[in-house]
Amino acid sequence: MTDKNLNQIEDQLKRALSRQEAPRDFADQVLARVAEQHASRTAPRNPWWRIFTQPLVRWAAITATAASLVIGGIHYRNVRIERAKGEAAKQQLMLALRIAGSKLQLARARVNEINATQTNQSRREEE
Amino acid sequence: MTRTVRNAITVLLLALPALLRAQDMNLPPDVEKLSAKAKETVEVKMDGPMLRWASKFLSAEDPDEQKAAKLITNLKGIYVHSFEFDKEGAYSAAEVEALRAQFQAPVWSRVVGVRSQHDGDNVDVFFKLEDDKMAGIVIISAEAKELTLVSIVGPIEVEQLADMGGEFGIPKLNTKAISKAATKSMAKAEKAGTK
Repeated sequence: MTDKNLNQIEDQLKRALSRQEAPRDFADQVLARVAEQHASRTAPRNPWWRIFTQPLVRWAAITATAASLVIGGIHYRNVRIERAKGEAAKQQLMLALRIAGSKLQLARARVNEINATQTNQSRREEE
Repeated sequence: MTRTVRNAITVLLLALPALLRAQDMNLPPDVEKLSAKAKETVEVKMDGPMLRWASKFLSAEDPDEQKAAKLITNLKGIYVHSFEFDKEGAYSAAEVEALRAQFQAPVWSRVVGVRSQHDGDNVDVFFKLEDDKMAGIVIISAEAKELTLVSIVGPIEVEQLADMGGEFGIPKLNTKAISKAATKSMAKAEKAGTK
């Protein structure tokens, strides 16, 4: 390879690698494309909640939520009332059984007293 | 003929209230008025379904409530009327006798009849036997300042029932306090139900 050829190649390389100014809107174009790609990746085009933007659906959802809250509240209240009535009935039952039991005990005690008195009397008579 | 049928219907209609409350003892009207004179009145009327329902709330951990659950398994009803007075002589012997007269042989057998001249405590215990099996018990306790009528319909273990009353006739718990608590909680439940 001659010196002439080498110089030519060197010139071509210099030309090819010489600094060139980017177009003025290059940076804006790059940033715009990045933003576009990011947006398309993060936000789906039709999010599920967008359904609530329709007034009918929105009102139906509000009504359903309010109805379930009311029904739940009524059910909870009924359960509490039922429980309170059951507890009261249980207390009445226990009271009835205790009164009945205590009166039976009283009868038993009286019978025992009479038996004891009679036994003592007959012993005395025997003596 | 028509007159006979009409008479029969009239008799049936007149007897209906008595038939409907056949499980409870028929309190003479004068005795029912006693609650007005009484310082403290306890009335418990529980039929079979009510007993079953109340038994659902009995705790399996409380020994007394365990006993109670066992006792009431096959019962058809528990009826208690208890009146406590400030003074002696609030009720007459005739009223008590009218009550006792309801429980006659052969259906009823009086197993205990105590008459105490000393302190005026009279206790009667009647058993109802059906096919040699216990079918009911009635206790009429007429004390100087207290009149108690208990009717239990259905098979019951008398010893176990007596156990529920505590030792030597002393109730395990203050029945007045329980009665007040029971009335209070029933009233509370009813109030909540009406709100």
